[in-house]
Formats: sequence, C-alpha cells, structure tokens
Amino acid sequence: MRTRTDRRKWVDALNGYLFISPWLIIFIIFSLISLGYAVYLSFTEYNLLRPPRWWGLEGYQRVLEDELFIAKALPNTFKYVLIVVPIQTFLSLVLAFAMDQNLRFQRFFRTIFYLPSVTSSVVISLIFIWLFAPQGIFNQITGLTVNWLDDPRTAFYVIMGMNIFTTSGTLMLIFLAGLQDIPLAVYEAAEIDGANGLQKFFYITVPMLRPVIFFVVTVGVIGCFQVFDQIFVMTNGGPLDSTTTITYLIYKWAFRDTRIQMGQASALAVILTLIILAVTLLQRRVIEGSGSGAER
Amino acid sequence: MNRLFKFLLVLTVLTLSLSACGQTATQSQPTEPQTVRETVTVKETVTVKETVVVPAEKVTVRLSGWASSPAETALLESLLYKFSVENPDILVKYEPITGDYKQVLLTSIASGTEPDIFYVDIFWWLELAANDALLPLDDLMKASGVSRSDFIPALIDAFTYEGKTYGIPKDFNTLGMFYNKDLFDAAGLAYPTDDWTWDDLRDAAAKLTDLSNPNRPVYGFCTPPDPGRFPVFVFQNGGTVMNSDFTDTTLDSEAAVKAAEFYASFRTNQIGALPSDLGEGWQGTLFGKGQCAMVYEGGWLIPYLRDQFPNTKYGVVMPPAGPGGEGNLIFTVAWGISANTKNAEAAWKVVNFLTSEASQKAVLESGFALPSRQALQNSDYLKNNPNSAAIFNGSFFGAKPFFWGSVGSDVNDQMSKALERMFKENQPASEAMKQAAEAIRKAMR
Repeated sequence: MRTRTDRRKWVDALNGYLFISPWLIIFIIFSLISLGYAVYLSFTEYNLLRPPRWWGLEGYQRVLEDELFIAKALPNTFKYVLIVVPIQTFLSLVLAFAMDQNLRFQRFFRTIFYLPSVTSSVVISLIFIWLFAPQGIFNQITGLTVNWLDDPRTAFYVIMGMNIFTTSGTLMLIFLAGLQDIPLAVYEAAEIDGANGLQKFFYITVPMLRPVIFFVVTVGVIGCFQVFDQIFVMTNGGPLDSTTTITYLIYKWAFRDTRIQMGQASALAVILTLIILAVTLLQRRVIEGSGSGAER
Repeated sequence: MNRLFKFLLVLTVLTLSLSACGQTATQSQPTEPQTVRETVTVKETVTVKETVVVPAEKVTVRLSGWASSPAETALLESLLYKFSVENPDILVKYEPITGDYKQVLLTSIASGTEPDIFYVDIFWWLELAANDALLPLDDLMKASGVSRSDFIPALIDAFTYEGKTYGIPKDFNTLGMFYNKDLFDAAGLAYPTDDWTWDDLRDAAAKLTDLSNPNRPVYGFCTPPDPGRFPVFVFQNGGTVMNSDFTDTTLDSEAAVKAAEFYASFRTNQIGALPSDLGEGWQGTLFGKGQCAMVYEGGWLIPYLRDQFPNTKYGVVMPPAGPGGEGNLIFTVAWGISANTKNAEAAWKVVNFLTSEASQKAVLESGFALPSRQALQNSDYLKNNPNSAAIFNGSFFGAKPFFWGSVGSDVNDQMSKALERMFKENQPASEAMKQAAEAIRKAMR
C-alpha cells in the first residue's frame, strides 16, 4: 500500500512539472541562467568580441568610481523614485476613491483613466515629445516658451509627469479592487458615530488598504528604479545627463559606447538589484511595522 | 504502461522542440529549399544548365547590413541578383538587420553566429579589427588584382590598422554647405561658392536672418551641438579632435577653443540657431522648411529634400574655409569579412563584386551615396549633378574620417555636452572644452 501511494505521489509531481514545463523551461533558460550569467559577467572584463576575462571586483570598483554614476545616475534615480512614487500612489488612491463613489459616467471615467496604461510606453513618449515641443500644445496653451525636453532643468520632470500619467491608471485599478473589499458595515458604523467623509477616508479607508498600499508602493518603487524606455525614447539620457538613470547607464555601457564594457554594466545591474532589494525590505519593515499587524 | 507511454510521448515532443530551438543559423544546409530566397531559385536552375557534368558544390555566405531605406535595399538586392547569375556556385543570403545594428552585430559575434560579410562603420570598426573579429583582406585583394590605390586614399586609409586593410569602403559622404536659393534671392545675396571663408559665412548668415515673424523665424545658419558637424570648424581652424595616434584629445587646444567660440557666436549674435530652438530634432527639416538658410549636411539630405520638400530650391558647395584652411568630415561604411568565416574566398568574391566599378556606378547613379573608387571621379553623373559633386570633392580638401579612436562615443558625448553647456548655460568656450577634454582623458584610462 505504502509504496503504491508513494509512487502515485511521485507520478503526480511529475505530471505537475510536465504541465508547467513550457513555462519552467523558458524561465530557466531566459531568466535563471541569464541572471546567473550576468552575475558571473559582473566579475569579468568582457567586450563581446573576446571571451570574458575574470577580474574579480575591478568592475564594481570602476562603477563606484565612475563620475557619471555617482554624480548623475544614482542621484537621478533616487530623485525619480522619491518624486514619482508618492505622487502616483496618492493620485491613484484619490482616483480610486472617486471611482468608488456612485458617480455618473463612472465606467466611462474608469476606462479613460486606465487608457494610458494599456498604451505602449513608446507611443506615449512620442506623444509627450510633441506635447512638450517648443511650439507644442503645452507651450501654446500656457503661453510659455520653455524648451521642456531640451532644458536640463525641466526634461526630467516631464518624464516623471509622464510616468505618473501612465501608471496611475493601473494602480487606481488595484486600489479600486482593494476598496471594494472593505465591508460596508464598517463605514455604516462610522456614519452612525458621526464621522464625516474625510474622517472615513483617513481613519477607515487608508488603514484598511494597508496591504494594498504596500503592494502598490513596492511595485511602484521597483518600476521607478528600472525606468528606461521613456528615457531611451525621449531624451537618450540628455540634455547634459540630466535624465541619465542607472538603467540607462547600464545600457550605455553595455551597448552604446564604442568600447563595450559588458562586465562593468553587469556589475551595475547587480548593484541595482541589491539597491532594489534593500529598499523593498526596508519599506516592508516600515509599512508593516507601523500597522501593528492589522493584516486582512 | 499507458501512463509511461504518455510520459515518453511528452518527452519526445519536448526534446524535439528543444532541438529545433538549438539549431543555429550557421549550420548551412544547401539542400534545404525552404530557407532559400526567391533569387536563389533562379540561380539554381542556372547551375544545372552550366555544370551538367560536375555538380557544383554550392557555398553559402551570409551578408548583413542595416536597411536605411527601401530603395537602397532594393539596389543592394539587385546587385546581389546580378552576382548570383555570374557566380552560380555561391549562394548569398541577405539578412538585413533592423534596429540597433551595432548591438545586434556585436551580440551575434559574441555568440559566434555573425554573418560572413557585414557593414562596418568608420566610427567603431577599429574595435572589431583590434579584437580580431575582422579578416585582413590584403592577400585576397592581391590574388584578385585589386589595389588599394583603386580607392580614394582617405577612405581606404580609414579602414587600415597596423598596415592591414580590414574593410573595402562601399561608399561615403562628406559635409557640404546646403544653401536655400530662394532665401538668398530674397536677401539680394550672390550664391555661395567653393571659395567662401568664415567671414563670408558670418556676413551671409547675418543678412539672411529674419526674425520679424515670431512664429516662423528664419535663421541664416544652423549650429546643432552635433559631434558630426562641429569638428569641421576645428579642422578649418587648423586644429584636430584627437592627436595622431588617438592617445589623447586636443579639444582643449587654442585652435579647438577658438573654433568653438566661432561656432557658438552665431547663436549668441542671433544669426544662427540650434534645431531644438525651432522645435526640430534635425536641421535638415528646418532647411527644407526654409527656416535655416544654410546648413552643413551630407548627401543624405538630397533624397530627403527630393521626397519631403520638392519645392525647396537649393545648391551645395564645399564648407567655407577657415583661418586654417579647408576642413571636412568623412562618413563612410565598408564591407568587412568576419574573421571566423569558413568561406573567405567566396565572401571576398561578393565584396569584390559589390565594390567593383560597375556596382559602384550603379550606386552613384541611384543618387544614394558616393562611390569610393577613384576612377568614378570624372563620371558623367558627377558632371551633371554639381550638388553631389560638391560632396564628392569635399573628400579631397582637408577631410578627416569621422573617427576618434576607442573612446569615440565618449569623445562624441563630451563634444556635444561642451557645446550644450556653451549654448544653454553660457559656459565660456575655454572652460567647456577643457572640461570635455578632461572627461575624455578620464574615460581613456
């Protein structure tokens, strides 16, 4: 009897792995192996033309001594995260809250707000290039003559604004699902106790949404640390490196420069992974710690 | 049993699909017809007719380049078709690379799947040659009677490393000064000539500038912060960008700083503008629209104007000389052969055919680019097309290749950043160029 059930378990497990094997094989080849290879490359000197040559931590040292990384890419990336994540989180929460009320044309607005998220980021980038051109619509409406994307003082903020515009829709949807999960009875009880709309929002909605907020902030932080395509399309890291972020620097070293520095680029990629890991752990501790375990 | 059978079935399917993925494109399968292009079928019938007794062994070579326009691709394909008729024993597979060419090429070299023949750009070819990714062509050239002196010296020299030839230039461009005839007529100015100097350029720019309509300003000259334009002024001022063996930059030299001052003075004096000031990424568009009366551009602007702005009347002369004489930049692309090719002879035959005088003549007459062979200097086409002739002749007057050594992209970045700092932050030229030179020296270490 026992051997039979053991055999059965084994066969079941095998069946299970067979069923997920298409995904598993793709994951192992394109994610796991490439990831491991990138870590290996980060300890080598590699220009794509000659085989990688081991040089230990030299690549990491070069990254940390690189002026473009220290003076531009690193602060730019953190600035981007610190500005975009709070705004997009707050904005999408407010939008979700509005969409949760019984407004007219609710479905219409939901669709409108979600629309930027389903559009390709390249297309949106091109639209923003035209909107913020010197003779573009934005300048014509406001009467300004700023050359938004060609001015080191403004270019990065346009990209930030665009990212907030694109991602708020998706995050709104996640918040909306969270909001509809909050039992109405809690609100009713608060109403009986005489709470007004604002109080209900800050003392019921926000605390009850804590797990969702954690999710949204985490996804937002990771996404912002990895911002690349908009910068690649709109500014190529310029003007005067004002929009160079860590991911763009990785691309620049790995593919754009005349002298390819794949090892150094891989080292920076590993460093970025560590930064994201550290920040995510930190924020998990902060958000969960202050919640006194109020998990739903 | 049944279950085991099912399991084996799944396993076989999996291994089959995996092995299909594992097949790389390098495995040449001359007998398989489905991978062969249409042009090839024709060739195959020819083979049968010509070699009835001894069945010819077919050699496959793969050829790649970027595809800059459908018309240019069609021209290359027609040349390859001609080649296939003349050489039935060689099968050429044309595999154009779209998107980021250098990135695709380098990764294919890294994985050992690169084509046998490919475009190499003057700007980064040396990196390939110095890392033994390119085949030296001198022996093959000698064997088929091709001499280096058949080509324009500046071009063939540009693809020479440690005395060996690593690429046969397929065509080239220099910069010409395009001028808008209507705007010159309206300002009552005589058209520019090849004898113009910097002073003439500045005077004309001042007279051609018309800012009376704020929505449609017209500037005399466009000065993009572009590393593919600015060095012309450095050369014309007797300076260089790099020293002769590319071990140091000379951007902080007196000649380069003065050239930068002159270049920036157009915008400071409001007789010139950056393309971005006028909301365009490229000055070619502004020239077509008549908002820049004079621009330095290459021959690529000619077909663009023909397609997009057929009503813009223009002429082309060589860039005006500076205090240090003539100066120009050469942009060129060569055919290179992979050092790992298994069919070097066949690949060379293809390259030799594509850069032969007959093929070059076809390229010239299509109007896309200028031929690299000296013999075509006196061709009828250039006599009848003075605009193209001005760009062709530019290669003989102080022209240097658009190449700055192994840190080329850093040099380019720093040059444009220095100009941007001067234009946008009013940094003095001497400081901007000094900062650029220091950053380049740092990158070299």
